[in-house]
Amino acid sequence: MADLAIDPRMELNPPLVQGGMTYSDVTDKISSIVEGKAPKQWWIAMAVAVPLALLLFACLGYLVTTGIGVWGNNSPVGWGWDITNFVWWIGIGHAGTLISAILFLFRQKWRTSINRAAEAMTLFAVACAAIYPLFHTGRPWRAAYWLFPLPNELLHMWQNFRSPLMWDVFAVSTYGTVSALFWYVGLIPDLATLRDRSTTPIRKTIYGLLSLGWRGSATQWRHYELAYLLLAGLSTPLVLSVHSIVSFDFATSLLPGWHTTIFPPYFVAGAVFSGFAMVVTLMTLARWIYGLENLITMKHLENMCKVMLATGMIVGFAYGTEFFIAWYSANQYERFIFLNRAFGPYWWAYWSMIACNVIAPQFFWFKKFRTSIPAMFILSIFINIGMWFERFVIIATSLHRDFLPSSWGYFSPTWVDIGTYLGTFGLFLTLFLLFLRFLPAIAISEVKGVLHQQVSAPHGVPAHGGSH
Amino acid sequence: MAHHREHASETYFLQAEAWSAVRNSLALIALVSWLALAAGYALDRQQFHFSYLVAFAFFASVSLGALFFVMLQHLTGSAWSVTVRRLMENMMRAVPLAFLLVLPVFLGVHSLYEWSHAEAAKDPVLSAKLGYLNEKWFMLRGLIAIALWSLFALRLYAISRRQDDSGSIEHTRAAAKWSAPGTVVLFLTASMAAFDWIMSLEPHWFSTMYGVYFLAGGAVGFMAVLIAVVLGLRSAGYLTQSVREEHYHDLGKWLFALTTFWAYVTFSQYMLIWYGNLPEETFWFHKRLQGSWAAFGPILVIGHFLLPFFTLLPRANKRNIKLLGFFAGWMTLMHFCDLYWQIMPVLHTKGVALHWMDAAAWLAVGSAYGLVFWQGLKEKPLVPVGDPRLEQCLAFHNV
Repeated sequence: MADLAIDPRMELNPPLVQGGMTYSDVTDKISSIVEGKAPKQWWIAMAVAVPLALLLFACLGYLVTTGIGVWGNNSPVGWGWDITNFVWWIGIGHAGTLISAILFLFRQKWRTSINRAAEAMTLFAVACAAIYPLFHTGRPWRAAYWLFPLPNELLHMWQNFRSPLMWDVFAVSTYGTVSALFWYVGLIPDLATLRDRSTTPIRKTIYGLLSLGWRGSATQWRHYELAYLLLAGLSTPLVLSVHSIVSFDFATSLLPGWHTTIFPPYFVAGAVFSGFAMVVTLMTLARWIYGLENLITMKHLENMCKVMLATGMIVGFAYGTEFFIAWYSANQYERFIFLNRAFGPYWWAYWSMIACNVIAPQFFWFKKFRTSIPAMFILSIFINIGMWFERFVIIATSLHRDFLPSSWGYFSPTWVDIGTYLGTFGLFLTLFLLFLRFLPAIAISEVKGVLHQQVSAPHGVPAHGGSH
Repeated sequence: MAHHREHASETYFLQAEAWSAVRNSLALIALVSWLALAAGYALDRQQFHFSYLVAFAFFASVSLGALFFVMLQHLTGSAWSVTVRRLMENMMRAVPLAFLLVLPVFLGVHSLYEWSHAEAAKDPVLSAKLGYLNEKWFMLRGLIAIALWSLFALRLYAISRRQDDSGSIEHTRAAAKWSAPGTVVLFLTASMAAFDWIMSLEPHWFSTMYGVYFLAGGAVGFMAVLIAVVLGLRSAGYLTQSVREEHYHDLGKWLFALTTFWAYVTFSQYMLIWYGNLPEETFWFHKRLQGSWAAFGPILVIGHFLLPFFTLLPRANKRNIKLLGFFAGWMTLMHFCDLYWQIMPVLHTKGVALHWMDAAAWLAVGSAYGLVFWQGLKEKPLVPVGDPRLEQCLAFHNV
């Protein structure tokens, strides 16, 4: 890093691609992941992920054929791990859209090396999330009638539009659709690159079909960039809306600990927090396995650590505000629920949450930790755990002690709960590994865009300058 | 050092006569409005304190918005905003004025805050929170908050001014270092100030969103005032090269985004309380539906959100200097309406009762903040001339 101090412009605009990579180096490097043989680590990861994904299908099959009683849900804890996992997975999905839409609008060029993989994670996380409410209905083949305003003679029912659970269906399905479109539009030029580099007819046909006849002409690029900007604009409110509406699932109720006005922005911040943690966990691994150090530089990783620090502080701020206002409200139920959270039977979950979400990210105040791969890998896992505990704490502690002590209970997961959760991990990882194997994991054309704009290019890379 | 960086056809310094003319008008406004307020204080003490609180909350929130945005520029390493940052910094520099201007609020605790009355001890809800809501702690918290804001505001201002001469990147690093803890401190203390100064006007009521609501409103107010100042200087012939269409287009984007964020926060707070329909929460909105207060809801929904949202959405409108200038004024007014609607129904429970002191207090507090702001432009450059990102900013283009 010593050379950065020599030229201040390098510090102000650090190069986003390092190692003197040229345009063709970028194409070769990223395409080689798809074109070459899968490394050993990929096969090992697949060997773990696929059986877990199969476990998911086994657990779901058992659930459907037996009933949702196989989960630990009880009265009063009618929402257990299912909704916890739903919210957790949806949250994981937030980094993708934030990176691709909001950071795009904020002209944060460093997003280009990580947006593709983060967007893929969004899609897979949404798929995992959707499983839980769908199967919580017990009869998923009828869920469409409960969830969508479809006329039905069989059930004689009309959907409850006042229910935020219903808003969730619209919010999540819109989010999934727009994210998928955004991801795919971004992929098109890169798919064409893979098509043009194909050496076998099968690859050429498949990538050729997927790239929708992309030729890279000026007109195509102009339309493409406009479409990208519009999709970014459309996705931006979705980043906020999805998790706000997820928070409404809780906050519209009258339950102490759920009914609080700060929930929407607090949930959004938490979602971004967990989403970035998952991106860091997986991208540090992918970077190491595929040797992507020149494309996903320390600057990228450090920026992600800063985002985790910022969103982690917002989450901590929300915990503090909730606790304070519970006392300030002078409402005995509010005061009880928060003391019960911290010192009741779920104290271990509460303090795990505090340790992982509030204390762990504090290390990111120090550059030493922000630029250490092992440190950020471990801390990102802590944050993933902490954000799971956050949802569990919100759900279980508010439910398990109802207003009457005769309606007090305790939630314990069954092996099906645990198996289903591990199973969604398997599904998520399987899909992500397949993505790494068959699609360009880094946006080739966008990285070339920032290579072109680098103010002072190191090591003899032709600097085209920011000539606008 | 500073001079050779200037754009060939443009000066970064205000003309001495023009500067004095504005200073004199501000001083005149200050003199007249403070005298009027003094008379108003003698005539109707209660009205004085409420009118004053609205004005104080307005300018305090705007200067805190400036503090936040300066820190945000340093944290994100923004290049596009360099040429408008000095104006933000001068707005931020007025933060310590709150030490003085908060005193009328402290003096008016009994007129403003029900929890300070002796009967509060008999109220079962209020008595449970008097450990927090009492005069001594209220004032101490206020002073600590202002002290912390002042520390960061003055520090960041000094760093930026020093860079004017040195042009050293060290100052850029130092500013970023101060901005990170500063943001944390600002969020904690400003939301506490919002709970204390505004939310506790209705001491039975509580909303965890209130701090965010206050900050969001302040950010909108700040951006509106900043745009008004920038466009004002431009129309006087300054900054025409350094704050081009590209730059005020970005300011317009911020105004649009912050207005939308304000709407998101306000809607969430309202909707969740409406949906829950608990009397201990809904009464706050119910009070604001009495008599002519009912008009304020639609005014805020339309004026503070729908109108600016749809008008500022198209790119061309944000680059239209007249339209942007109109919305700078309009959103300043809307931020005032928002605070007025939060504060004044506590005094005038039956309906809106406009009072001349509402305007006098706004002018009085505003001219005081304005004088401190304007002092910062005297014989000092209008842009941070030593900032290493200045050239990048001058060359900046929206894609």
